[in-house]
Amino acid sequence: MILQRRQMSADVPAMAMGDIAFLLLIFFIILARVTDDSHVKVNKADGTELQKPQSKRVGIAIDTNQVTYLNGVRINPDMISDALYKPDAPPGQRGLLGDQPPGQRTVLLKIDKDTPASMFEPVIEAVSRAGGELHHVLEEKMN
Amino acid sequence: MKLRRQSLLTEPPASATSDIAFILIIFFLVCASVQQEDGRPQEIPNSDKEQQAKNPIRVNLERDHVKLNGEVLAMKTFRDKVGKLLAQKVNEAEKTVSIRCSPTVPYQRWMDVTAWIEDAGGTIALMRKVQ
Repeated sequence: MILQRRQMSADVPAMAMGDIAFLLLIFFIILARVTDDSHVKVNKADGTELQKPQSKRVGIAIDTNQVTYLNGVRINPDMISDALYKPDAPPGQRGLLGDQPPGQRTVLLKIDKDTPASMFEPVIEAVSRAGGELHHVLEEKMN
Repeated sequence: MKLRRQSLLTEPPASATSDIAFILIIFFLVCASVQQEDGRPQEIPNSDKEQQAKNPIRVNLERDHVKLNGEVLAMKTFRDKVGKLLAQKVNEAEKTVSIRCSPTVPYQRWMDVTAWIEDAGGTIALMRKVQ
């Protein structure tokens, strides 16, 4: 007599998929919040003939309260140059711009339009010293 | 005899919730990445190149006026004059415009002036007091 083996089924419960997906959703939202600076309040200056940035590796913002942020994290303006590029450090630890080739060293500058020069000039100088390519984020001027 | 009414309650299929959640993920990620980042690229040479320019055009930017090679000008006049000055220059080194800016000048004003200079073919060089 042949005894038929009982078949074992191991289905993934479809009900759990929703929970997994929601956890992923929360994970990605938190992650996105950490790296971007959308929470920084800036009244953009206006300009004409605006262009899209070549790359979006690094973003520096100065908000309405004249607080400086690097990739959404508060930073002392004196530390920006080192955070962007440290030529003496070993490869892989040379800052956010590191050894990126020209064209990939874009630094987005989002500065509040009323920020005084005493605040934004050191930032621009630090980016220039680190070999960054400045891209001022502006709003199209309405005529 | 009592007749039992058939229940009309129908549960949504559980397998669809994952699809809904994934669509939500995509929606939020797209929303997060659609920040307007249009603007103006700007090339500011480092200090070595600043020193290469022997007689740069000098601009002093103050909160209420602007000086071009020491001459106080209205903004519109400045724009015309700097354009004419740069048009006379032949090589790139001569087109360097060194800007000394008062600490109280707002970013909007600085952007306006530097944009005019760049549109006229000039290269910006920052002049700052060493602290």
